[in-house]
Amino acid sequence: MALFKKKEKNNEDYYLASQWTLMGRKLVKHRLARISMFILGFLYISALFANFIAPYNLTAYDSKYMNLQPTKVHMFHEGNFEGPFVYGIDVERDAKTKQKIYVENDEVYKVQFFVKGSEYKLLGLFKTDRHLFGVEEGGKIFLFGADSMGRDLFSRMFLGSQISLTIPFVGASISFILGLLLGGISGYFGGMVDNVIQRVIEVLSSLPTIPLWMALSAAIPANISVVKVYLYITIILSFISWTGLARVVRGKFISLRNEDFVMAAKLAGVTDFKIILKHLVPGFLGYLIVNVTLEIPSMIIGETSMSFLGLGIRSPATSWGVLLEETKTITSIATYPWRLIPLFAVILTVLAFNFLGDGLRDAADPYK
Amino acid sequence: MGDYILQVNHIHKRFTSKKVCVRAVTDVSFAAKKGETIGIVGESGCGKTTLGRCIVRGIEASEGSVLYTAKDGTEYDFLNIDKKTMKKVRKEIQMIFQDPYSSLDPRMTVLDIIEEPLKANYPNMPKAEMDAKAKDMAAKVGLNPSYLMRYPHAFSGGQRQRIGIARALVLEPQVIVCDEAVSALDVSIQAQVINLLKDLQKEMDLTYLFISHDLSVVEHISDKVGVMYLGKLVEFAETDKMFAKPMHPYTEALLSAVPVADPSKQMERIPLTGEIPNPANPPDGCYFHQRCRFCIDKCTTEAPDLEAMPDGRTVACHRAKELDLGGFSYDE
Amino acid sequence: MKERETVIEVKDLKVNIKIDDGVLTAVRGVDFCIYKGETLGLVGESGCGKSLTSKAILGINTNNCTASGEIIFDTTAGGKKDLLKLNPRGKEIRDIRGKQISMIFQEPMVAFSPMYTIGSQINECTRLHITKDKGKSKELSLAMMKKVGIANAEKRYDQYPHEFSGGMLQRALIAMALVCNPKMLIADEPTTALDVTIQAQILELMQELQKEMGMAILFITHDLGTVAKMCERVAVMYLGKIVEVATADELYANPRHPYTKGLMGSVHKIGAKKTERLFSIEGTVPLALNLPPGCGFYERCHERIEGVCNVREPELTDIGGGKLEHQISCFACMNPSCEEKKEDPVHG
Repeated sequence: MALFKKKEKNNEDYYLASQWTLMGRKLVKHRLARISMFILGFLYISALFANFIAPYNLTAYDSKYMNLQPTKVHMFHEGNFEGPFVYGIDVERDAKTKQKIYVENDEVYKVQFFVKGSEYKLLGLFKTDRHLFGVEEGGKIFLFGADSMGRDLFSRMFLGSQISLTIPFVGASISFILGLLLGGISGYFGGMVDNVIQRVIEVLSSLPTIPLWMALSAAIPANISVVKVYLYITIILSFISWTGLARVVRGKFISLRNEDFVMAAKLAGVTDFKIILKHLVPGFLGYLIVNVTLEIPSMIIGETSMSFLGLGIRSPATSWGVLLEETKTITSIATYPWRLIPLFAVILTVLAFNFLGDGLRDAADPYK
Repeated sequence: MGDYILQVNHIHKRFTSKKVCVRAVTDVSFAAKKGETIGIVGESGCGKTTLGRCIVRGIEASEGSVLYTAKDGTEYDFLNIDKKTMKKVRKEIQMIFQDPYSSLDPRMTVLDIIEEPLKANYPNMPKAEMDAKAKDMAAKVGLNPSYLMRYPHAFSGGQRQRIGIARALVLEPQVIVCDEAVSALDVSIQAQVINLLKDLQKEMDLTYLFISHDLSVVEHISDKVGVMYLGKLVEFAETDKMFAKPMHPYTEALLSAVPVADPSKQMERIPLTGEIPNPANPPDGCYFHQRCRFCIDKCTTEAPDLEAMPDGRTVACHRAKELDLGGFSYDE
Repeated sequence: MKERETVIEVKDLKVNIKIDDGVLTAVRGVDFCIYKGETLGLVGESGCGKSLTSKAILGINTNNCTASGEIIFDTTAGGKKDLLKLNPRGKEIRDIRGKQISMIFQEPMVAFSPMYTIGSQINECTRLHITKDKGKSKELSLAMMKKVGIANAEKRYDQYPHEFSGGMLQRALIAMALVCNPKMLIADEPTTALDVTIQAQILELMQELQKEMGMAILFITHDLGTVAKMCERVAVMYLGKIVEVATADELYANPRHPYTKGLMGSVHKIGAKKTERLFSIEGTVPLALNLPPGCGFYERCHERIEGVCNVREPELTDIGGGKLEHQISCFACMNPSCEEKKEDPVHG
């Protein structure tokens, strides 16, 4: 309808814009999606550089500072501006409860940037020992507090994000491939093949997801390498979620097959294979991406749940789920509430993916 | 075959599922001469779109043959040839679709859309030559060739229909099936596209099969018209003769129902009782007998075949020769 | 012209739609009136604003539309009221909708909810406006269903929309619209989606009911044939304005506005002598955004006068001379001599 066709400021721009360009433009206009993209970008980049950002590595612990509350960073010492620093910690016993309490003393430990610390491989490639920040010898900087073994929660959170953020991604990619392949075969061949694949999908979908994931992960052997555990977990996660995607692909396949432009291509003499490649696949690629993006939050929760129950990632590797394992009891949360911080990270990531997925979905159909 | 370019013989199309068999097209036969426009009209469920798609082999007919005389003079049965021959002959029979929005792949540029048939049939043609042909065709249908790098969403309904026409013509076919090609367009744009189709027909010596529900448009553009009811062809005649004096009761009722764009010339409508029967469960005998005011016993048991009449038309009615039906009297 | 009672008078109606890139002046000042018991046709192609005009009467345009002007309707109890001044969510306009002014739409399939029976949906109208008594209400609904020609009304009353055919559904829609005996019916392309033979039945039904119940009908369509059959007077719309108003006989015999002439020439009259070419109006309808000054049809008009038509906008002016009803909005074609121009598509 002439009245409702939008006129962009630069018409030619709009006319020459392909589907992807239009989709990208619409996505950027969606406010929540924009914010989510920034948040996710920040999270993934910091996961990439986690070893650099974290002042301590995975194995560092100090039993002297078990369950230390978050370290306060001060700027002024006795009225003078000293730059960021932390006080030393003395251990005392509370008279009545006999519980350990931590009190700041007078010793000043300056916060330094680009300090030398424990060695690691940046991006898995370069050996270095520089960290973003740290404190002078003798001081401890536990920005998010410490756990029951005196390990820095802040470091472990960032290091854990490497696993918590990448497993869902890898899992989603596997689902994407499986879904595309099996859904495509199902939709294209129809008949018996379609029947069999659809029944398999139905059986898998009817199983409750998280219990199935937990059952499968309980079967992972106890003493295998971290990498293998990681692999098993991603496979388990994508085991069921490909079904949802396959259905979407098949449905889109079947609906696009009946569009007039497909018949026009057939009449023009284009081969079936080329029709699939050129006309059908680009048609549902957008939907597939949206679906995959919306699958990721459930995988994050899946991995977190598995690790929370001790079934997923094992020590010394860590993920947010492992960190949350320590929050299982009320007393632990009541006495050491900072242990809940990884929870907010999970919530933030899940929300960000959800909003991004929403934005993608809204942007995916620029023609209708 | 004489000077007929297309002879459609006894086409049937049945859609079967486990319990139901829908007879979309039943025993349709007619012929077209080179350069003619054959109109096919009917209401919803009459099977005209299915017929069109069977003829171009967009879908496969259950039975029947389509004798087609190709450019090289050979006669082929288009519905029953092997894949290799079909690839060769298919270029000469093309289709224009109804919906300007779903008939163009929104993810391809207009240039790609028009060139796609060339790429599929002449894989060795150099790009420059393809571009030139595409631009040429675009200009012929009234599109500005400099707009070819745009995507379909940049064009209006009428322009998109022109793109569809360019795509159908780029292979230089002889026969084009227009499946409700102007139905989705505004009246003034319809006129533009109809004029375009007529011009192209003259220029490229095309034969059209014009499928439509709009009788005014069909009367304007067609040399001969076929009326379909519930999958069967009930009458096939020269346009002037049919509209002036129909010979099948359904044709008469159909013509009388069309509102004339002139308040002083409204026709007395022949009322049709009842509704169109379910194509999965058609009545016995003549499909139209339940609603026909001339129905006799024979009509309830025996289905009439298409019979040739003295003036050259074919009608499927037991009482065709004896009925005196009314049509439009032309302005003098 | 004799004094006739008007049911509704629309004065200088403007509807603006807010979109991302600015404001679309979809309806740019429309004036018309409908007399008691008559059918006024509103003809135009897509994008001319006819649907927006009709929806503005009942205040059912979407939230991004703002309407201005006056719509004076002669209500049953309260005298003449300006409908645009009523709160679109308020009680007063709801009292008018369905009871004094009804509307039927193009797609009967989607006008009914698939979750409820047809009978209960028609009943909803009567229970809202006439009586809360279930029994009486059902009686009225059944009577109306019979009147619109739905055979086996008692059985059909309890059936769901998917059990009805297109033509039946449109009858049911008409029943729902007329069951409260409104003063005016707005029919927005009511037969466009129907087969030709069903269309004829529905149009005749509407004519019969109008004769019997005496309501005025605003008949919106793009089909010139339907207009010729149904309407006594016709208003032609283009790009948000009415460009010509006349009785149907007069309009078809002597169209004067270049757009009307173009439109008439674009359509082949069934049964008429065949012409080689249809007249086609050049170009396409422009977007109603940032329109240049002057007449909206200027770009596509064969008879435009440069310096006049692209500077000032023409107003609807009477050219019937008091004897005929005929108004056009045009500078170039005010005189009858304009018909003698060579390229007249209708008579040429």
